[in-house]
This record gives sequence, structure tokens and C-alpha cells, in this order.
Amino acid sequence: MAAVAASRPSKAESFVDNKRREDIRLANINSARAVADAVRTSLGPKGMDKMISTASGEVIITNDGATILNKMEVLQPAAKMLVELSKSQDSAAGDGTTTVVVIAGALLKECQTLLMSGIHPTVISDALHKACGKAIDILTAMAVPVELTDRDSLVKSASTSLNSKVVSQYSTLLAPLAVDAVLSVIDPEKPEIVDLRDIKIVKKLGGTVDDTHTVKGLVFDKKVSHAAGGPTRMENAKIAVIQFQISPPKTDIEQSIVVSDYTQMDRILKEERNYILGMIKKIKATGCNVLLIQKSILRDAVTDLSLHYLAKAKIMVIKDVERDEIEFVTKTLNCLPIANIEHFRAEKLGHADLVEEASLGDGKILKITGIKDMGRTTSVLVRGSNQLVLDEAERSLHDALCVVRCLVSKRFLIAGGGAPEIELSRQLGAWAKVLHGMEGYCVKSFAEALEVIPYTLAENAGLNPIAIVTELRNKHAQGEINAGINVRKGQITNILEENVVQPLLVSTSAITLATECVRMILKIDDIVTVR
Amino acid sequence: MPIDRIFKDDANEEKGERARMASFVGAMAISDLVKSTLGPKGMDKILQSTGRGHSVTVTNDGATILKSLHIDNPAAKVLVDISKVQDDEVGDGTTSVVVLAGELLREAEKLVASKIHPMTIIAGYRMAAECARNALLKRVIDNKDNAEKFRQDLLKIAMTTLCSKILSQDKEHFAEMAVDAVFRLKGSTNLEAIQIIKKPGGSLKDSFLDEGFILDKKIGIGQPKRIENAKILVANTAMDTDKVKIYGARVRVDSMTKVAEIEGAEKEKMKDKVKKIIAHGINCFVNRQLIYNFPEELFADAGILAIEHADFEGIERLGLVTGGEIASTFDNPESVKLGHCKLIEEIMIGEDKLIHFSGCEMGQACSIVLRGASHHVLDEAERSLHDALCVLSQTVNDSRVLLGGGWPEMVMAKEVDELARKTAGKKSHAIEAFSRALVAIPTTIADNAGLDSAELVAQLRAEHHAEGCNAGIDVISGSVGDMEERGIYEAFKVKQAVLLSATEASEMILRVDEIITCAPRRREDRM
Repeated sequence: MAAVAASRPSKAESFVDNKRREDIRLANINSARAVADAVRTSLGPKGMDKMISTASGEVIITNDGATILNKMEVLQPAAKMLVELSKSQDSAAGDGTTTVVVIAGALLKECQTLLMSGIHPTVISDALHKACGKAIDILTAMAVPVELTDRDSLVKSASTSLNSKVVSQYSTLLAPLAVDAVLSVIDPEKPEIVDLRDIKIVKKLGGTVDDTHTVKGLVFDKKVSHAAGGPTRMENAKIAVIQFQISPPKTDIEQSIVVSDYTQMDRILKEERNYILGMIKKIKATGCNVLLIQKSILRDAVTDLSLHYLAKAKIMVIKDVERDEIEFVTKTLNCLPIANIEHFRAEKLGHADLVEEASLGDGKILKITGIKDMGRTTSVLVRGSNQLVLDEAERSLHDALCVVRCLVSKRFLIAGGGAPEIELSRQLGAWAKVLHGMEGYCVKSFAEALEVIPYTLAENAGLNPIAIVTELRNKHAQGEINAGINVRKGQITNILEENVVQPLLVSTSAITLATECVRMILKIDDIVTVR
Repeated sequence: MPIDRIFKDDANEEKGERARMASFVGAMAISDLVKSTLGPKGMDKILQSTGRGHSVTVTNDGATILKSLHIDNPAAKVLVDISKVQDDEVGDGTTSVVVLAGELLREAEKLVASKIHPMTIIAGYRMAAECARNALLKRVIDNKDNAEKFRQDLLKIAMTTLCSKILSQDKEHFAEMAVDAVFRLKGSTNLEAIQIIKKPGGSLKDSFLDEGFILDKKIGIGQPKRIENAKILVANTAMDTDKVKIYGARVRVDSMTKVAEIEGAEKEKMKDKVKKIIAHGINCFVNRQLIYNFPEELFADAGILAIEHADFEGIERLGLVTGGEIASTFDNPESVKLGHCKLIEEIMIGEDKLIHFSGCEMGQACSIVLRGASHHVLDEAERSLHDALCVLSQTVNDSRVLLGGGWPEMVMAKEVDELARKTAGKKSHAIEAFSRALVAIPTTIADNAGLDSAELVAQLRAEHHAEGCNAGIDVISGSVGDMEERGIYEAFKVKQAVLLSATEASEMILRVDEIITCAPRRREDRM
């Protein structure tokens, strides 16, 4: 930060010379590289985790690059751009958030050498763009098409993603789970698009990650209101999602009830009872026996009195459903929300075989299963022995879901374990030789920068990185394009046979985004402080 | 007799030489700051905000950089202002204007040092500017009558504008998009009708022009997701409750049933309102304010698509493009003008669902959806595209175009040089200086590209000695080339505005011989 503070120009008197511009570029590159170095050790299946203690005292343990960077609170603008880069990769592909930052760091390192030797930044930037385009072509040529019916391949790629996480020992469980979850929400009419919002992940403390499972139906992390001893299990449920409240009336305009004597009070109490009873009768008349009530800030969703009557009428009540969730709930249950008691009709109800409250550890959850004409949604119940594991499991599962989503939108697989990067490096290196002028020089550096991925993979796994990378280069030169590092065995094998595969989209987007970000950093020659 | 204390305590005054010096230095510092962003190989700047969030902007746009600077020097403020005016008037050339003004002042400084009166310099500059403008007028190309060629011209202008921006890699794609969008406007310069939507994800190449209107909102639950031949009512009305707007109004009742009745009445009132709205014969209702659950359900029952919480800009545009008026009372269905469009449907861009209105009544409207890696990229892309759109819409009205790549500057410099030779008196020094300042622009472009500027500019000058030459600097190949062949074109209007406002600004700064800084307004100490 010192460099930035010192370089803050005073507008009025100073004369800007080119020396300072170089300094700023170098300061930018150095701080961006520092960020990349910070996450470098978490790359790969044997990558380490980071413990982050946030300002609020909360502790997070994670291996997910996007999460680490997000919580780092960097200030330097170029370093911030790297954080943004990781976020973009998260939204574009969902996985490879560490990879993208590591590649960007390596590219910046190479650029620094190029700049030192006096090459103009725009020339480097253009060459990078060209090399990036070529790299994508090479990757696409290496990729293997995959069909959505080929469940095995999908599971393999999901487990590759999961292997580098804390929850790696559960990858055999979580990977198929992620695949099934995504496949179940694909709309046959639009097979290219997966909306991950259709997959609801519910976290519940207790048990182990092993107990994680999908629920064909709905799961709420809520208790059934049974203050008045209402039912907690309902078979052949008729479910209503209501957006009004079962409590004494409240008007929008301020109101007060004036009571002048004792008899009046009695009457009012009776009226209140009748009012609620009337509502419940109407509900009962439609055959509804489960109520999901939207949360309201204006008045109580239910009162003790109404709970009592609902319990008598054998209606199960779940209150405080968030408004955002209503769409998901109605889509899943295939029903319509009801905003007014007058509109409470049987055709708006959803049907399910079983609604029950289940105890999990010390908490309780609500499950709705056997839903008739269920919408294309899935719920996943994630368990974990403590909050940290639980959060990390959720993040890992999210990554795995994203990986599967990538495969749905772009149906190609590519080998993992550093194989594509080494192959890219080899082919680009060869291509650089036929290029003219500065371009060839820059492309060569690009090719060399890509070797950072296998290098880091080997390093993190405690192998000898130089030996591994040179052997890998050798194998690729002999035409074994799928040779990669098998971290578990600590040697080089055909990585496709080892089932280490990842979606093409993750690799391509990592390379394009990293290049785009590096080019942007290169083009910056000044930091101007503004309001 | 010395006069004391004319001014307040903290005010100060700088006179004569010192004042002029302060203005020169300030103006030159500003122009040096943005100089490196000029041209296709110009660099970007990081704007780091000191405000909350320390947000970071990366930009190449001169106006954006200057707008956000803290400036204390009055002369520098003048330059920032002309850049702003340039941005409003023609949208592009915001950097060029500042660089040219800076160069003019740099030359003027030398002249002043050699004891030439500022007024003489101003007179010389005026003559030179007039002459330069005429030189340009002589060489303009106007293809207004030939629609096909005119379109080509526009495309080239768009590409020239875009090639110095972040969009340079996909400039063909964006130039096509910008030209199509501007042609849809049919000559109006109202860029409001072109809506730019930014969605992170994908790459810049995935951006597209959509011949309709896209609203970034969700359709209510249980309502139709697709409507053909839509009749749209655009409204700004409260759809929660019609409250009595008297402060502290409240009702007193003496029984629970009465409360229930009032609640019922309120519901009934809302229902009536919805009924009235439905009675307009619409099938799509767009409201600026929230629509609560209750009316939402009523709309769903009536099979009407209701969109809540559309922002102000959103509904104004929607009103504009569908030809509807924004209504807030619903008693007279006849007097409300409804909007129409052929099809409303839900589309998905990236991960988000948006509502798409196609076949709108007013054919001028269109939306440009920008995709890109991050918010930085998208914001910069939007600024670049906006520049291109501005220039194009101006060019549609004033169809004269010029070649680019330093060509106009060299043409002007040549004419101005000749004028200097013909002019007698001290003015000729100023005129000569003007031509040197003009040449500084191609020099800067070459410098930014890391080329040998002295060599290139000398070569260019030699080429231009011949009559009717089209030579300019081709930054991509790093040599002097024929600009017509390379298809590098600029709008005449932009160049003219750059020339005139830079001259005026430098004149204004030259005239200054005293700077009076008023005492800053004291803040009350409320310790």
C-alpha cells in the first residue's frame, strides 16, 4: 500500500513523468501477484485450507478460492481486480476459482519479465489475446464430448471438483447426489439451461456429512407449530400456501377498540374467537390439512388462539415462510399461493403423500414427500458435525453442482490433473516459434506461465515439482496428451483412465478470464484518487 | 501608498506572471494526465474512490477520468469543463480536446516567455483555428445521398471510436450493433430509447442487440409467462393500500367485528381498484410501486401479467416504447392510453430471468445486452458503447466525415503553416505555434503505441506535402499508411468541436492575468 500512497499525485503542481508510470504498473503487478500467492497453496486435491477470522470474529475454514479472496478485504485496486476475477469465475463456471487466480498470477509474473525487457504493454496485451484464442482452440480440440445420459462421466467430473475440498472423503456420496440433483431440474424444453435456484440446499447441524441426502420433495428448516398440540405428521396432505394471517383482524389505518364496560370485553373476546373460527372453518371446508404461512412483519402469523383451533381441526401449521421462498415452494408443490381467505379454494391446494416433522439431532426439520405433480425442483439436506464443516460442505456441494451445470450447458469433458495445461504449454510453445516478432516472444511466455498449474499441483502434493513437470513435458512431447499428475499415487499416469476429468467450460473460462484480467492490469498506467 | 486588507483573511491573490504560470502548469498537468489514454493503444487508468467502499473503476474515457478528479487549480477546471461539454455535445473526443488545449497552452507559454503579448497570441490562434476549420471543410466527405455508402461510413466511424476502448477486440461486432441501434432511431438523437442492460457472465462477444424492450424484473407467481398481443397499462400507483393521508388518522370502534369489517372494506377497496384496472381491457399491468400479495393474486386470477416495482426509468422507457402513458388513476378507462406490443415473454440471460417485450409500437426502441467477465469490464464497455452511440447519432444528422489516424491534424497543420508564412507581424509566430500544437496529437498517438514518433511524424509531414494525400498513422502496423484504405474514419462534428473548444479554452486561460482565490467558507465549529 505504501507504493500507492506515495504515488498519489498532487494535481496542481506536479509534472507527471514516465518513470512513475512504470512504477505503478510494477506495483499493480506485485500486489496482484501477492494475492495469487496467498491462494496458491490451496490448489489441487492435496491443497491446504485457509482459516479466516473475519472482522466480526467469525471463523471460516475453506479451500474455495472465491471464498478466501472474498473475505480477504484487500485494498489495493489491482489486487481487488483479482478478487473480482475469482468472483467472475465463480459465477461463470462455479469451479476453478483458485485456478483462475493462480494462472493470472503466473501470467503477471511473465509479463513483468517482458516489461523489463522493454516490450510495450499493448503489444503484450494483444499477444496475450491472440494466445488465449489459440489456447481455447487447443482445449476444444482436446475435449471429449459427453452425453447427459452418461451418468458415470458426470459423476467423475463432480468428484474431481470435490476431491480438493475438505469433504473429499465423501465425494463418492456427494458427487452422484449433485449429478442427480442437477439432472432432475433440467427442463426438457430448454435442455441447455439449469437454474441452480431450483435446487434448495438446507443445512442442518448434527450427524456427519455422510448423512447428507436429497429429498424428493421439500425440506424446511422449521418446526411445526405445535404449541397447542397440533398434528406433526400428516398423510395424504392437502397443502395450502397462504399469504394472509390467521389472527385477529388488523386494518391498515390505525385503529383502537374502545371498551367501556365489562360485558363489552366479554363480547369482544367472543367475537375474536368467532372470527378465527370462521376462518378456520373455511379452510377446513376445502379439505386442507397443512398450512404454510408466509412471514408477515405487520402482524402475527398465528396466535395461540388460532393455533388451538387449528390443532382441534387437525390442521398442521408451518409459519414464517419467507416471501422469497414462496415461488420455490409453490413451484415444487404445484399449487398457487392464496392471499385472502375469500379465495381459499380446493383447486389452489397442493397434494403430497406425507408431511412430517423429523428430529435431527437437537433440531427438527419438516419434510414434505410424495408430492403429486411435483415441479422440477430438488432439495438437498446437508449435514455436518460442526458449523465449519457444514458451511464448507455446502460450498463444496455448490461447486459440484456448478460443475455439473457446466456440463449441461457445454457438453464436453477435459482431462484434469494438469494435463490440459501442459499440453497447452507445449502446443503454444510450438506455435510461438512460427510467429513473427514480439508476438512470438510473448506467446512463449504465455505458454510458460501455464506450467504453473502442474507445478503447483505437484508442489502442494509434496512431490518434486521440477522432476514432475519435466517428466510431464516429456510424456506430452511423446504424444500422450492425457498424461497428468496423479496426486494420490504421486506419479504421472494417463489421467483420463484415472477418472480425473473436469468440464471444458471450467478450463476455458479460467483461461479467458485470467487473460482478460491480466490485459486490463497491463493497460493501467496510473492510479487516480477520486471522490 | 500600499493598500492593506482588501480581501478577507484567507483569500489570496496571484498576479501577472505568477498567475499565468499557475494556469499553465495546472492545465498542462491535466492534459498530461489524460494524454496517455489517447489513441488505439492508449493506456487505462484506475480511479480509486476515497469515498465509502473504495470502489475501483478502470477506464480509458477522458471525460470519466476528468469528471472524477479532485481539482484545485482554476485553469485545470476549465479544461475539465470543456471535456464535459465535449462529452455532452458529441460524446467522443473528450481526451483529444484536453490534449489539444494543453498543447496550445504549452506553445503559448513559450511565446509569452519570448515577450509576445498574450492578446497577439490569441489573435494568431483565432486566425489559425479559422483557417484549420476551413481546411477541414474543404476535405470533408459526405455520403448522405448514398445510403449504402453512408452506412459503411458509420460503421467505420464506430470502429474507429471503439478501437481505442476496451471493446477493440470485438469492434466489428459492436460497431454493427451500434449502427443498427442508431439507424432504428431514425435521426433522433434521443439515446434514451436505446437501453443498455449489463449482465455479468459470458464474454463481450456474447453481447447482442435485441429489437425489443427488456425489463429486469420478475413476473408474479401464478401468472401467465407469455402473452401475445399484449395491452399494457403502465402505472404508478400504490398497490398495497390506499391510506388516508392525514397524519394520525385512526378509527375507533367498539367491537372486533367492526375491525374485521373495516379490514374487509379495505380489501374490498383494493379489489375495486384492481377491478377498475382490469376493466381497461389489459392483459399486462406494470406498476412502479410494490404490488402486494392480495392484488397480485387477483391479477393472477384474471390471467393478467403483473409486474411490480419496475424502477422509474424502467416504466418511463416502457411507456415510451410501447406508446402507453403512465397512469395513476383508473376511473376513466377511455382517457388512459394503453401500450401495445406483440409478445411478452420470459427470457433467460446468463443466470437471470428477464421479461422481454417484442414487437413494440414504437419501432425505434431496442435494447443492447452487454455481457462481460466482471463489473469493471461491463461498466467500461457501457461507457465505450455510449460514446460510439453518441458519435453515430450526431453523424446521422451531420453526415460529413473525415479520415482519422492523425490525418485531419496534419491537413490542418499544413494549411496553418501556409497561413503563417503569408501573415506579417508577430501573429505569425502564434500561428506557427498553433500548427505545432496540432501535430502534437499524432505525436502522442504514436508515443502511446510505443512507436518512434519523431520518425513517423516527419514521414507523415513529408507525405502530406503532396496534394490530396490520405496518409495517417496506422498504429496497428506501426507505420504511415493510407487511411482511406484502412477504413479509419472520424466524424467531422467531433473534430470541429475539438478544434473550436480547445482553442476557446486556451484563449480563455491565456487572457487571465490575475487569480483571486476567495476565502473558503468557514464551517461553524460545533464542538
